[in-house]
Formats: sequence, structure tokens, C-alpha cells
Amino acid sequence: MAFRSYARGTAALALVMAAGTAQAEALKIGLVETLSGPQASTGLLYRDAVLYGISKINEAGGFGGAPIEVLEYDNQGGPVGAADRVRAAIADGADIIIQGSSSAVAGQITEDVRKNNLRNAGDEVLYINLGAEAMELTGSKCHFYHFRMSPNAAIRVNTVLDGMKEAGALGTNVYAINQNYSWGIDVQDNTVAAASALGFEVVEETLHEVNKIQDFAPYVARIQQSGADTVITGNWSNDLLLLMKAASGAGLDARFGTAFLDQPGNIGNAGAVAEGHFVSTPFNAEVNAEASSAFMEDYKSKTGHYPSYVEPAAVFGIQLLGEALAQVEPTEDGVDATALALALEQATVETPMGVVSMRAGDHQASLPMVVQEVTRDAVYKADGTEFGFSPVKVISAQDAEQPLQDSCEMKRPG
Amino acid sequence: MKLGPISLAVVVCLLLAMPWLVSGSFLNAAIQMLIAALFAMAFGLLCGRAGMLSFGHAAYFGVGAFAAVHAMNAFGGEGLLPTPLLPLVGAGTGLVSGLVAGYFSTKRTGVYFAMITLALAELLHALAPHMKAMFGGEAGVSSFRMPAWGFSFGSITEVYFLTLAWTLLSIAALYLFSKTPLGSLALGLRENAHRLRFLGYNTHALGTLIFAVSAMFAGIAGALQSLNIEAANYVVLESHISTAVVLNSFIGGVRVFLGPAIGGAVMTFFGHVTSDLTRVWLLYQGIIFVLVMMFMPRGIVGEIVDRFSAPTRAGILRLLGDICLRLGAVAVAAIGAIFLIEFLQRLLSNEYRANVAAAGWPDITLFSMDWSPLSIQPWGFGLGLMAVGIALVVTINRRLAARKEAEA
Repeated sequence: MAFRSYARGTAALALVMAAGTAQAEALKIGLVETLSGPQASTGLLYRDAVLYGISKINEAGGFGGAPIEVLEYDNQGGPVGAADRVRAAIADGADIIIQGSSSAVAGQITEDVRKNNLRNAGDEVLYINLGAEAMELTGSKCHFYHFRMSPNAAIRVNTVLDGMKEAGALGTNVYAINQNYSWGIDVQDNTVAAASALGFEVVEETLHEVNKIQDFAPYVARIQQSGADTVITGNWSNDLLLLMKAASGAGLDARFGTAFLDQPGNIGNAGAVAEGHFVSTPFNAEVNAEASSAFMEDYKSKTGHYPSYVEPAAVFGIQLLGEALAQVEPTEDGVDATALALALEQATVETPMGVVSMRAGDHQASLPMVVQEVTRDAVYKADGTEFGFSPVKVISAQDAEQPLQDSCEMKRPG
Repeated sequence: MKLGPISLAVVVCLLLAMPWLVSGSFLNAAIQMLIAALFAMAFGLLCGRAGMLSFGHAAYFGVGAFAAVHAMNAFGGEGLLPTPLLPLVGAGTGLVSGLVAGYFSTKRTGVYFAMITLALAELLHALAPHMKAMFGGEAGVSSFRMPAWGFSFGSITEVYFLTLAWTLLSIAALYLFSKTPLGSLALGLRENAHRLRFLGYNTHALGTLIFAVSAMFAGIAGALQSLNIEAANYVVLESHISTAVVLNSFIGGVRVFLGPAIGGAVMTFFGHVTSDLTRVWLLYQGIIFVLVMMFMPRGIVGEIVDRFSAPTRAGILRLLGDICLRLGAVAVAAIGAIFLIEFLQRLLSNEYRANVAAAGWPDITLFSMDWSPLSIQPWGFGLGLMAVGIALVVTINRRLAARKEAEA
């Protein structure tokens, strides 16, 4: 319980420092995350990152002189539970809702927040989306009170292609294999769209069932027949592992460009099969090594593990929120969400990877991406194996940025 | 279950007074309990009354939910379909899809019937992510409850009353249905389908009809859920929704009229309360199901109805005494078990493992006391309470059995 007692300690300290300066009610943040059931592992990572990030803000004095309070809610893994918990969080006085681990849940929360704000004008709440990457969240479903702090399909695909080209690993024949639902289709569309600019040809596109296929050998045979030298896939979990294993088993000579190779357990499970494959994420500890390793060690000292997978981007997102909070005045019951949203659009934060900011047009974070390759030389090893992620190319926030989606029609206040 | 008109009126009055009795968060839970209760009642008609175990009822729930959300967007809560009448869309689509699915699945009985329902539901579940226009993709289809009939439907209270009205109406309709000749034939279908056929009834048509009626009420429940959360997502078609309704109905008691409803409501409430208290609430839910199935195969309500059919006042008093004794003993064992599970959960958590690396084996705070995992106390306390509780249950059961034998 060191982390929790630590958080409590800092809260108490901040309270002592703040005593007498302000009487306003503490700002409450509702963390509506998947904390139980089969999807809990990612939800718990977000929880660690949020608690870490908020404890940092509280260390620096909290908000309005009082420590920020994090209320935890378990969304039970689905939109129905999330709808219930968002209402509970708002009823308990939360001004900000934070969630990240599922696009299905995010789709529900962003709409719930939008409707809540329509019905309760003057008493709005903010939704900080730490990791739901579905394109429509900053497209047709975008609205003024939703902010996405993670990359999306377009950013992931374009940066990984860019980095692979730089490393000389991007061939001329690219095979796109993805899961047949909105995420996989987004990845496929972005791969096809990038073809002419980067000078490759998409030899074949495949969409397959999600998490149902046990044997990818037939798919790998098609990849072999197509003569592809590069495979781009947005697959995650088993669909990625089994695909890579089948490819290695069949002796397929192609590099993989992926979106979620760094999910905990993947490298441990795939082992040497993953070597030489690529992934593009918002953080790598070998970039800007001094600042990065300080962050790594500090995170580990408070949560017990190095930040991995979704955690660094989530921490950066909370830091950006902290910057915005520093620019607004506390109100009677916490914070004015509209003022905070306007401040978030202006906020920037210096992370070990570079400057992170928020794009006002669709509230998609603009963040640097690191393309990395699985090698044996990496300083930080993954899952206790001899492999880790070595950076290949750092892509600045400006270069990683992707055009606004036409479907986003954001109604701004006033 | 024989519910006197007085107790029925009391329950309805309590439900009507709910918004003034409980907080907003619990009112939310109450809406979901009502929806779960109606869904379980729909399932209970098919499984309990007609003896057809469906493993795919999420399909009809989901069809109703999506139909309602699309109707909400199409009509904007005006004209032919004002907001309060939207569940009718769920009922209509549920009925039609139930007729089609029922036609195929009721051609077989028993395990084969269950397999067909499961297959049809999985078919829809697998199709849904591919049809973005219909099912909205990963982020789902959302909608907005529009004002109608002088209500804004912006507040939870109004949604609660809307849900309550539809649930009570539907349960009343289900009760009346069970009194019709068709309802009685459903019983015949369960008890002896062959004899029914020899008597000249078309059992396939009968099964299809009952299936469709059950799907219709599942559709109403789905539509109410769409109204409540103002959205529908294809995760509603997942198989765990189908299993949840089976579990809920059996825990409540699938063969007594209100059993499924009470099972659904109780288990939804259980999830609402425990999921914020402990991360292993799904484990407790599973344990409850296993225990109920092992020791109360007729379900909670089934068991109560069965026990309280004893007519005399003295008999009822003695029964209450026995039940209190048993509950007390079970509670002792439960506290021990909960202590052990929670202790283990904390011991195995990431946070604790991080501390072990840093500071050895620190104490764990549980039930506002500090316990060292290296000492015998926490293990002795948990296991001891469990052992004492189980021993008490066994002794009480033996005594009561001996008394019964002596009286017989």
C-alpha cells in the first residue's frame, strides 16, 4: 500500500501547505475505468498512470490550494456499466471524467458527457480520453468537452511507415492484414492512403475475424504468395501473437509494422519471433535517456513497475491536464469545465519525448511518436526476456500530426 | 408464488416512492434492476414455463435495443413514436425476430434447441461489427431522449418512472399470458410435448409462438436500456449477456412466476454495490451461483415459496427460527471466506508485489486491522471462521433432519 499511503501523505502535506489560502471545495476527478473482469489488466495500467500523474500535481500544490481527489469507479467492462458510473461520478461532484481502456466504453462516455453538458448548461464536465483510439471519437462524435490524449489509427500507421522507411525496413510490397471491425478498417485505410507518398504498393488487403482465429497459417500462405516484404497490421492480443508465430513458423521473410506490439506479455509470449518487427508508440526510454530514465525510475518507485504500453502517454495526458489546471481559477464547486477546456487547447507540456499539446480543431493530442524495433540491444527489456524496444526514429509532434477529419463539426461555446 | 393483493400493493407503492427514498446513484441502479428483472422474466417464460433453455437471449435484447435507438434518431421523439412509446419498437422487432429465430430453433428440443439459439445469437454477434451503418462500429450508436407529453426526460427520475411503468405493465401482461390457454399449453410443452402432440396440438407452432412472446419482452427490456443509456453498442450482443440472464433467472428460481425478476434485480444490485467495493466481485457472483445451484436448486424465490407453504402459524415461526440459525451459520463461514479472498487479492495485487520488492512483507490492512502475511493470524482467522461456519451449518442440518425424522 506504499503508493496509496504515499498519495495520502502528499495530499495531507498539500493540505497543510494550503491551509488558510483557500476554502474552495477540492477538485474531484472521476476515474471510470475497467477494474474487474477479463479486460481489467489494461484498465489497471490506466489507473496506475492516473494516480501517479495526479499525485505529481498534488505534490506541486494541487488545484486551488487543495489536493485533487480521484474517485474510482469500475465500469464493469461495458458501456452500460460506464453510463451508470458516469452518472454516479457526476452526482458525486466530479468535474472531470477520465477513462481510456476501451473504445466501446469511450463512445458511451463521450456521448453521456455531451448530453449531460447540453442538459446542465453552466455545470459542464470534461471527459479526458486517455487511450480509446477509435477515429470517430475525434471525428463524427467529436465535441468540445472531449479530449483524446493518445494517438489514433492514422497517427500510428503513418508514423510506423515513416520510421520503417527511415530504417530501410519498408519494402515496396506491403500487405495489410487487420481485424474486421472499425479499428482494423481504419488501419487498413490509412495504410492504403500512405502508399503513393511513401512509394510502396499495397499488394493485398485482408480483414479477418476478431480474436476467433486459432491458426493463421492460411493467411500467412497468402502473404507469402503475394510477394510482400512488409506487413502492416493493427492487430492486438492473440491476433497479433498468433499471426507473428505463424509467420515465423512458415519462414515468412517480411517485417511487421504493428500498433500494439508493446502490450505487456506480447514480447514474453512471442520471444525471438518478434525480433526485427516495428511498433510506433508515444514513448521510449532510450530517447532523451537522462530525462526518460529519471521518469522511469520515479514511476517505478511509486507504482512498482516501469511505465509501459499505455502508461507513458496517459501520464503525459495528465501532465497536460495539470498545465491547463494551472491556468484556470477554482470555482465554488471545483472548476469551470468550459474555462478548463479552453485552457487545455492552449496548454503545452515538455515531456522527455518533446512537446505535447492539444489541437483545438478536434481535441486530438498532438504528441511526438517514437518508432522502435524489437532487438536484443535494448536497454530496458520487455517482460523479462532478452528483447526490448530500440528507438529507430523520433517523429516530432508536428510531423506526426494527421489532417482533421471532415466529419468533426465541433460546436464551440459562446 | 401466492402474492396477496396487499403485499403486491405495498411493493408497487414502494417502487413508486423510490425516487424520494434513495439517492441518485441508487435510483440509477434501480433502473437497471428493473430492466434486468424484465429481461429475466422474458427468459423465464421460455425457460421456466415452457422448458426451453435458450443460450442466446442477448440477441433479442440487442435487437430491441438497436431498434429503439434507431427509432429514437429517426422520429426525434415526436409524431407517431413519442419517447414513452419507444419500447413498442423494441417489442415489435423482438416479436418478429423471435418468430423467425423461434421457427428454426423450436424444430429441435433440449440441448439441440439450446445450441441453435446460441448459434443464432453468435451469428448476429459476429455480423454486428461488420455492419457499421446498422450497429455503429466500435463506439456504438447514440441518441438523445427528446421531450414528449410534457416531460423533458432529462432527469433520472423521469426515466425511472418510464422504466417502472413499462416493467410493471410487461410483468402484468406476462402474468395474464400465463393464465391464457396458450400460457397453460406452454406448461404442457414443458411437461410432456409428445402427449400434447397426440392430443392434436401443433407443438412446433406453439413453441414458436412462446419463443416469439419471450423475445418480444426481451426486446422491450432492450429498448428500455437504450432509453436509459441513450445509446446502443454491439457489445450488448455478447454471449455474457445471454449467460447473465440464465444465471440471474436460475438464482432467483426459474419455475416460480416472479423468481427470475427477483433474481435479476438482486444480482444487478449485487454487481452495482460490490463492483465499487472489491475487484473480485465476479468471483463472489460465481460462488453465489454455484452455492445456490448446489443447495437451493429451485432458486432463492423457489426455496422460499416451497418452505412457506406450511400452513400453521407455529410452523412458520419455527421455520423462521430455523432459517435464522442457518443464515447465521452461513454468515460466519461467509465472513471467513470473504476475509481470505480479500486478503489473497491484496497479497497478489501489483501494488503489494511492488512493496515486497522495496520493503519486505509489509502488513496488509483489512477490516480496519493490520495483518502480517507471514504470521499465522490472518490465515488462521480466515480458515478458522470458515471451518467453524461450515461445522455449524452441518450440525444444524443434522439436528433439523433428526427432528424431522422424529416427528415423521
